[in-house]
Amino acid sequence: MSGTFSHSERKYIEILRILRESRQPVGAKRLSELMAEQGFVMSARAIQYYLRHLDSKGFTRKVGNMGRVLTEQGLSETDNALVDERIGFIISKLEKLAFRSTFNPETGTGDVAYNLSIVREEDIDGVIEASAEVVRAGCGFFSTSTVTDDDPRVPEGHTGLITLCSVTLDGVLQHMGIPVDLEFGGRLAISRDGTSAFTDLIRYQGTTIDPLALFISAGLTSVSSVIAGGEGVVLANVREVPYPAKDRVEDAIAQMKDCGFAFPEGVKSHSCTIPEHPYRLPVTAYSGMNHIANATEKGYEIKTEIGAGTIRFSKIVDSI
Amino acid sequence: MVNQPLKFINHCIEEYALEASYDPGTDTGSVIYNLSFVRNEDFEDVLPIIRKVFGSGLSVSDRILFAGSGEMIGAVRVPDGCAGVCTVCSITLDAVLLRHGVPLNPIGGGMVEMEKGVPLRFTNIILYRDTTIDPLEVLISQGTTSILDVTEHGSGKILANIREYHMEAEAMAGELLDEFTACGFSGILDVGAPNVPLLGVPVRPQYLGVVMAGGTNAMAAIRESGYRVATEALKGVMDIREMNHIRDY
Repeated sequence: MSGTFSHSERKYIEILRILRESRQPVGAKRLSELMAEQGFVMSARAIQYYLRHLDSKGFTRKVGNMGRVLTEQGLSETDNALVDERIGFIISKLEKLAFRSTFNPETGTGDVAYNLSIVREEDIDGVIEASAEVVRAGCGFFSTSTVTDDDPRVPEGHTGLITLCSVTLDGVLQHMGIPVDLEFGGRLAISRDGTSAFTDLIRYQGTTIDPLALFISAGLTSVSSVIAGGEGVVLANVREVPYPAKDRVEDAIAQMKDCGFAFPEGVKSHSCTIPEHPYRLPVTAYSGMNHIANATEKGYEIKTEIGAGTIRFSKIVDSI
Repeated sequence: MVNQPLKFINHCIEEYALEASYDPGTDTGSVIYNLSFVRNEDFEDVLPIIRKVFGSGLSVSDRILFAGSGEMIGAVRVPDGCAGVCTVCSITLDAVLLRHGVPLNPIGGGMVEMEKGVPLRFTNIILYRDTTIDPLEVLISQGTTSILDVTEHGSGKILANIREYHMEAEAMAGELLDEFTACGFSGILDVGAPNVPLLGVPVRPQYLGVVMAGGTNAMAAIRESGYRVATEALKGVMDIREMNHIRDY
C-alpha cells in the first residue's frame, strides 16, 4: 500500500487522530492549536503542507472553505498505523484523564472520568436495567449510570450511556500527592464466600487494545452469574502505589465509598494472584465497564469509548 | 480458589521450551499445540475452510489432528456433540530455537495486515511479558480478522506473532528456520534485519525479528464464516507423529 506511515511521520497520524475526534471540518489554524495541545508545535503553514500530503494519500478531504475531514481510508489508518507507538497510547490517554479528574472524595465535588457507550435507542431501557443489576450486585465502579442526549459523538438513533471510569481513583490519589501507576486490566473471579482473585491480567503498557474491551468482546466475563448467584468473573483494574501510602489510600477509598463508589473488599485480600513487588502496593478497583459487560452478555451490541472525558460529579449524582 | 501468582505468557513459553523436544532436522519429537472445538454438525462445512487456510500458508505447519467426541487429547476429553481440532502452536518455533541455545525473546502476538500476499505491518499487538492470556486467544474474537479475504485475494488481516533473536546466532537460527520450512512449517511470514523494526515492531539492539502466522488462523476463519468455535492456545505438548498431514483428510 502506498499510503502507510513510517515512524518519522507520527505528526501525520496525530493530525488524523484530531480530525477523527472532531465532528466538524477543522481548518489549518485550529489544527495548529489542537496539535500544540498534544505536544506538537507546528505553524498553520506547516499544517497546510501536511494536509496537502494527506489529501494526496486519500486520507483527508477538503470541505469547501471550512477545513478538512477524514475519509473512510483515513479513519481506518488511525486504527492501524504505528503499532509500537499505539502501545503507549492507551495508557497515556488514561493518564491524561486521571490528571483531569479533580474529584475530591472529602467534599464529593470536582470532575470525574467517564466512559461513553453508544446504545441503540430501542435497547437503552434494557441496557440501563443491566447496569442497575451490576450496581445492586455491588460490582460496578459507581452506583449509577447516566443517559446523555446532547453529546455530539452519539449518532442518530442511538443514546449515549455514561458510566464512571475507574481512573477517577487514580486522579484522586494523584491529586493527594501519591504517585500512582495504572498497571493492569484484569478478570477478577469472585467466589460465593466473597473472596476474589485475578484469573487473567493484561498490562496497559503492553497492548494496543484496551484490556477490558478485549475481555468483554472475547466473552471472558460472567458478570451475570455474579448477579444471579454471587459467583463469576468481573472486570477490575490494578494500579500500584508506594507501600508507605497504604493508610492514605485506604482513607481515600473509604471516603469514595461514602460518595457511592464500590471497591472489592480489602486492599490486600484479592491481590495474591498479582505478581508481588516488594515496595509497591497493588490497589484494585472494579471497572466501570462491568455495567457494559453485563449488557453485552445479555446480547446487546454496544460500542464504548473507554475514558471518553471528564464530567462534573454533581451532574452524575443529580441525574439519579 | 488457588491463589498462586499469575504466570505471564513469556514465562509459559520458556517453560514449554523445556518440554517441547521437536527437532526440525529429523521431523521428530514433541510440539506445542492449540486445541479447538467445533460442533459435530458443522464439521463437514468447517473442514474445507481449514484446508483453504492451510493451503494459503497461513497455518503454522501442515499438521493437524482431529478427534471425535469422547476421545482424549492430553488431559482433555472432547465434549459430547463436538469435534476436537489440534493445530501446531507457533510457539513451537520459539521453543526449538531456545532449546538450541539461541538467545531469543518472544515479543508478542497481534494482527498483521497483508497486501497481495505480502505482510505489510502489525496493526495491533499484545506483548507476551504483559499478558497472562495468549494474545491470539483474545484477538480471535474481536471480529477484526479477515483471513478468508487473504486466502482469496491475498489482502486482509491475519493473526501472527513475533520474536527476536540475537544476530550472533543468525547462522544457526537461519538453518533451523530452513529445516522448519522443509518440514511443512509454512507459516514463517517474514524475517527482518538486525536493528531494524519488523512490520512496525521494534527489536533490541543487535537482534532481528521473525514473524510467524498464528496457529489459530484456521479457527478465526471458521469464526468469520459464522460457525461456532472455542479455542484454547498453548494447550500442551504432543508427539508430532500423533498428528497427520492436512492432505490426508
